[in-house]
Amino acid sequence: MSPTSPTSSAIKKDSGFGAAQIILTLSIGILVVVVAVPVLLIFLNAFWDNNNDFNLAAVVKVLSEPDTYQALLNSIIIACGTTLGSTAVGTFFAWLVTRTDLPYKKFMKGMFLVPFMLPSFIGALAWKMLLSPRAGYINRFFMDTLGFDNPIFNIYSYAGIVMVEIMYLFPFVFIQVCGALEHMDPTLEESARISGAGLGTITRKITIPLVLPSILSGALLIMLYSMAHFGTVAVLGIENGIFNIPTLIYEKIHQSAGSFESIRTGTVLASVLVITAAFIIWMQNKILGKGRYQIIAGKSFRPMELKLRGLRIPLLIFCLAYIGFTIVLPTAVIFLVGALPTYGLPFTLENLSLENYKFILFDFKVTRDAIFNSVTLGLAAALITMFAGVMISYVIVKMKVRGKGILEFLGMLPFSVPGSVIALGVILAWSGKFGINLYNTVWIILVAYIARYMAFSLKANSAALEQVHDSLVEAARACGATMWQALRDIVLPLVRPGMLAAFFLIFLPSLRELTVSIMLYAPTTRTIGVAIYTLNEDGETVRSAAMAGVALILIIVGQTLINRFTAKHKR
Amino acid sequence: MRKKLLAASLAVSLGLGLVSQASAAEKMILYTSMKESLIGAIYEKFKVKHPDVTIDYQSAGAGKLMAKIATERQAGKVLADVLWTSEVPDFYNLKKEGMLETYVPAQFGEVINPFPDHDGSFTAARLGTLGIVYNTQLVKKAPAEWDDVLKPEFNGAYGIANPALSGTAYMSISLLVKQFGWEYIEKLAANKAKIGKGSGQVVDDTASGELAGCIGVDYITIDKIKKGAKLAYVFPKEILIAPSPVAIIKGTPNLSAAKKFVDFLLTKEAQEVIASEGTLSVRNDVKVAPELPIASAEEAVKRSIKVDYKSLEDEKQTTIKKFTDILQGKK
Repeated sequence: MSPTSPTSSAIKKDSGFGAAQIILTLSIGILVVVVAVPVLLIFLNAFWDNNNDFNLAAVVKVLSEPDTYQALLNSIIIACGTTLGSTAVGTFFAWLVTRTDLPYKKFMKGMFLVPFMLPSFIGALAWKMLLSPRAGYINRFFMDTLGFDNPIFNIYSYAGIVMVEIMYLFPFVFIQVCGALEHMDPTLEESARISGAGLGTITRKITIPLVLPSILSGALLIMLYSMAHFGTVAVLGIENGIFNIPTLIYEKIHQSAGSFESIRTGTVLASVLVITAAFIIWMQNKILGKGRYQIIAGKSFRPMELKLRGLRIPLLIFCLAYIGFTIVLPTAVIFLVGALPTYGLPFTLENLSLENYKFILFDFKVTRDAIFNSVTLGLAAALITMFAGVMISYVIVKMKVRGKGILEFLGMLPFSVPGSVIALGVILAWSGKFGINLYNTVWIILVAYIARYMAFSLKANSAALEQVHDSLVEAARACGATMWQALRDIVLPLVRPGMLAAFFLIFLPSLRELTVSIMLYAPTTRTIGVAIYTLNEDGETVRSAAMAGVALILIIVGQTLINRFTAKHKR
Repeated sequence: MRKKLLAASLAVSLGLGLVSQASAAEKMILYTSMKESLIGAIYEKFKVKHPDVTIDYQSAGAGKLMAKIATERQAGKVLADVLWTSEVPDFYNLKKEGMLETYVPAQFGEVINPFPDHDGSFTAARLGTLGIVYNTQLVKKAPAEWDDVLKPEFNGAYGIANPALSGTAYMSISLLVKQFGWEYIEKLAANKAKIGKGSGQVVDDTASGELAGCIGVDYITIDKIKKGAKLAYVFPKEILIAPSPVAIIKGTPNLSAAKKFVDFLLTKEAQEVIASEGTLSVRNDVKVAPELPIASAEEAVKRSIKVDYKSLEDEKQTTIKKFTDILQGKK
């Protein structure tokens, strides 16, 4: 492989062909083993009974059981509520920061993206502390200080769950709509204005139709996420009997205690989730496919700003209040509760200390293991997925080989398989049925992470590869470079930013991962998310909060470093 | 297969650095649901006495540990050498399946034995107690009887941990039903008692004021009281006791180390650690923690509601379902 070796300089057509086949086979192999087999096993387990007969009646029976039916319904109710709410919130704020003369817009835009970083189950924990009916700090303030008879809000409800999910998911819409509004060609609106159209008409006939695809695609992303979201419902719903699909799958796996009896209900529910997700992804592709050529009008223009006039200051206050209420308050509560010796004490100076933080970082084996596990798992998953992703994307984007169609189809799979489905799938695939038993080891979590984050890597890498023109490789090949040389010397350096992006896109989220690891952890393989969740479940509220605080610091420091790093590289 | 698993587990432990650093002559693996701090303190004392034995302990909920053992059995090798949890029914199950080594610990004659059918398969190493925990800011008059939690102060604010998640919660419900009948559970439902999550969470919810009171496990409650939580702990006349058995897994290659550990667990030294955490020791010569509202382990056993532990295992599913249905008003 050394560039100076005499044989490598010769043009070898057949070796190039062989390499292509090897890469293709390898790519297909990875996706099949990591994603396709687990999903296939779920479908097999759900639709075929023990006698290997296709049995739809049994599926219907599982679905019509009151618990399952209710969980399905809950998933839909929560997902719809969250989607509608987040879309409204996200679109409104996006419009506010791009199209009006709101003060401190840049700062606001940055702040509205912060919830992206915050894991929503930590948000749910914070809101539980703030708004649980009798003990929540806000409810207590209203009842004890202002003399209210009843709590003002019960967080253990559908409304509570939806509210928390909106707070942490709306950036999906916000970021899409911001992009669309910023890149939209303002001449369209201006020409309408010159032709005498009023603001209402322009908004209705020009702006909204142009931005709609972005709004819808963001909304569908949220829908997909919320349907399959574990954390918030687990923290706020389970206790009061509100289950959604992932939490019910978790309960079933948990209760089955490793014997695979109730796994069937889980697989049926997972199938429903996969089908719904596939449908949502299909819708999204349709919408985006239609909208793309309209929105991306080349360079970003400086759009006209609406003068808010008298509303300028009230809206500024509103935005600041929103940020304070949804970001600062919950974060502060997490850190403060984490500093209490035991839950329920007032926040007085003598009660606050760093004792819990010290304990979980240095003395507590469970949390120390968890931090170590999450960091190593994240690094390993990010590295493996980064390299696998660049290879697979290369085949999909650049290579012209037979059998690519299969790979394109397989490449779509990771996008539409939710975390809890992956977890269930890897349990089915890797618990000894096929000779390898990884269940209850750290490796099963790694396999699941790779499957879960493959989509991120494929996305980042294909985007980078699409920008590398074929002529570069062709030129290299024409000058006598082998396939490998062209790859190494031309393609790899050019896609390195995409690979780096993929690495960080995977490493950071995996630090706070809960949905997958909660189903797969064993006594020594807790992750950070699992540690926070189980500490809370065990009634160690203050330690759970302290651990959540540590996780927040890790995530925020990580994100800041990455932003610095990528900013430097862009220059 | 076995080799593969061993190799895999070895790789895991090496990869994650979980193997203890010291290479001692003997080694054993303990699965326990005891808190990290408790097992850690016991191990410190154990090391002094047996410097040649290394213990790799895994602390997690009993359900998780049983799930791990179940998968390990499927794979052909149980990694645990000793199991110590508070889920008595699990031990009867394992015994029935021939999974447990019979071993009568050296100090067995000196300890309180709550199991009339003791044959050495498992031995109680701790006597967990459950009493009424109440929030001192919300409840002014201490409840003295189990019936006192049916009063209006506890209306809609009395919690019992979910028996499907917590073995001690299941035990406490069985005992209460045995003593007072299902009518007692129905009265609790009429007073809008709640099913909480884990046995720790109900205590924390009581400390925060979300609940006015709950059935609480001794050491969890004592720990929070010591840290200043506004809680108080009382035992009504009838005490609920949930023993924590310890057992050696049959066929372990580390039998001698396992025996050393089980023996040590019943010594005065180890039992003193247990008592200091706020749980009853199985030894009468160990002082009860001052925070615990009882004079001696002997008295607690005398006042405890007696139950046929074997029947607990058989009735588990039906009891849990009936209890959940009554409290959720399904019936």
